[in-house]
Amino acid sequence: MRNSSIFRLLFIGLFLIAAPNWTLGQIVDPLHPKDPRHAPAMEKVTTCASCHKCDHPTQDDPCMIHCPRHGSHFYGQHEADEGPEIVIIDQLADLYRPVVFAHRLHADMSNMTGGCENCHHYSEQSGVIPPCRECHDAAKGPVSLNQPALKGAYHRQCMNCHRDWSHESACGFCHEQVHEGIGAAVADTTDIVGIPHPIIEAVPTYTYETSYEKGALVTFHHNDHVDMFGLNCVDCHRGDSCSRCHDTGKSQVQRLNHLTTCCACHGERNCAFCHTTDPKPMFEHTHTAGWALDPHHTDVACNTCHGSPQDFRTPSDKCTSCHIHWEDGAFDHKVTGLVLSEDHLDLDCSDCHLEMDFGTRPSCEDCHDEPMLPDKLPGTRL
Amino acid sequence: MVSRRDFFKITGTVAGTAALTAVGAEASAPHPKLDPDRFGVLTDTTLCIGCRRCEWACAEQNDLPHGDLESFGDTSVFDLMRRPDAESYTVVNRYSPPAGTDQPLDVKVQCLHCEHPACVSACIVGALVKSPQGPVIYDAWKCIGCRYCMIACPFQIPAYEYADPLTPRIMKCTMCSERTLAEGRPPACVEMCPPEALVFGRRSELLELAHRRIMENPDRYHPEVIGEHIAGGTSWLMITDRPAAEIDIPELSNESPAVITETIQHGIFKGFTGPLMLFGILGILMKSSSDKRKEKEDENG
Repeated sequence: MRNSSIFRLLFIGLFLIAAPNWTLGQIVDPLHPKDPRHAPAMEKVTTCASCHKCDHPTQDDPCMIHCPRHGSHFYGQHEADEGPEIVIIDQLADLYRPVVFAHRLHADMSNMTGGCENCHHYSEQSGVIPPCRECHDAAKGPVSLNQPALKGAYHRQCMNCHRDWSHESACGFCHEQVHEGIGAAVADTTDIVGIPHPIIEAVPTYTYETSYEKGALVTFHHNDHVDMFGLNCVDCHRGDSCSRCHDTGKSQVQRLNHLTTCCACHGERNCAFCHTTDPKPMFEHTHTAGWALDPHHTDVACNTCHGSPQDFRTPSDKCTSCHIHWEDGAFDHKVTGLVLSEDHLDLDCSDCHLEMDFGTRPSCEDCHDEPMLPDKLPGTRL
Repeated sequence: MVSRRDFFKITGTVAGTAALTAVGAEASAPHPKLDPDRFGVLTDTTLCIGCRRCEWACAEQNDLPHGDLESFGDTSVFDLMRRPDAESYTVVNRYSPPAGTDQPLDVKVQCLHCEHPACVSACIVGALVKSPQGPVIYDAWKCIGCRYCMIACPFQIPAYEYADPLTPRIMKCTMCSERTLAEGRPPACVEMCPPEALVFGRRSELLELAHRRIMENPDRYHPEVIGEHIAGGTSWLMITDRPAAEIDIPELSNESPAVITETIQHGIFKGFTGPLMLFGILGILMKSSSDKRKEKEDENG
């Protein structure tokens, strides 16, 4: 009996010595399966708070700290106005004063080049964007080999663009240095805070000279693409940095890559679609499709008939290919603004609209001896 | 009678054979005993923004003469290629932008803390020591100022305080050993680096990280971790966007220069074989010549 209790004590003692050395990575725990993607991170996990926000995580509410360690995930659409006007970044103020970051201005600019995910590489599925410090540690140096600490995250984010357009890495652009005897305090807001980015007026038409022999000219009607085809800035300018416009000393290589940008939509066209010997005229539906949009289709958005620019389709030029309910008798001429009189109601469309050409005005002479139009109409105008 | 010329021929051949045999036998010379968890630093030059704050932090930490923080914002120093000198353990040099971009490549230069350092091997008084934890540490008290380390270093890193006539020292990066070894804190430059282009950690883990970055961004990096193999490997590792030679890393073999010199020297003296053979042959020669002289004397006598 005595022997067995000594062994038991010994066993408990050994367990107490060994237990604190266990880490999560070694515990075989159904709640913490060994996902190979998380293995490097799990080995370094020492406390629950490394992964969980609350003190008592449960299976239903694990309250995980959201850290996009593997690729970026961004959900939801956000407007520039949703975010704060300015953000004071002061968690790391030490040698320098806090940075006054004009968030609204940057959000505004990002709208033109790829949206919020330009900087925020992660948002929760609900659309909530967590602050950088939730994942990036505020320690001075890098603490994890897997991701930059807060200082590194901020600087990489900012300097990536700032260095590109100013061609320098001057700390003083964002920071005001803390001089001896003066504690860290909020610096004056810069003069750009509160001023939205001016609306960019692009050149309506660009003509590029290329080395392509069969068609040296490429005419790009910017207005067509924006106003008529309804493209957003980011559809083409995705990932552009400010230096695209603000860097006066930029070289040719910094221009938008026309090949990938244009071919994203026009990929199935042949070279001659863009490369011409003479400047290409602006888009005209009559010219391209053979019938004018005027007057009844002027307000119809392109994508109503043609789908999105990325998924362009060409419907047939028969009205009934779109207006499927316009089978015989179902068409109410009233929609054109003209209510047909009883005499004309039973006529076939092609009796007046010769060869079903709805683009040109019908003539009355085929049935009536004397020219009736424009004095007399086959009905009453609304 | 052995002529003077023959004597040198024979002894030279014997000594050379002994040395070469030793080199062959000792092709893998004994490396200093290194800790498998030894420290290192990884420089990712593609993240460096050329702010030169590492230079400031280094000077501040090591009591080197320097201007105030803002004076390091001066980018005109990039007009010339600089080397670490007696007043700076580290410098940043600027190289032309990679193809297709306007952003230049900035490269931090400092002692790479070789795994098997030639400077340590060349130091005749043991003033330079390779710590098993990584840093190559200098002890000014032991140094006699021979500057052999400066000649030995394949990267031309050690500098000498020529301006100090009384107590000149060898000056080179210490990997902030007083912080890294004593406190486990990263070197001053690493702690300062704004975009965290420098990472401090276990060398084995840094190697993994470097290879992972290269694998995940093949367009961004040249597929080589500088320091993994060069000159027998270094504690300080680098990844960059171009071949090492283009950022002025000398083209060296993957064997430490110290290995060749050490194997020859240690080989000759191993078990005292070389000297014993030399003196043995000398003895035989002396004996035979004295015998001959005796015979002559006897004949004459």
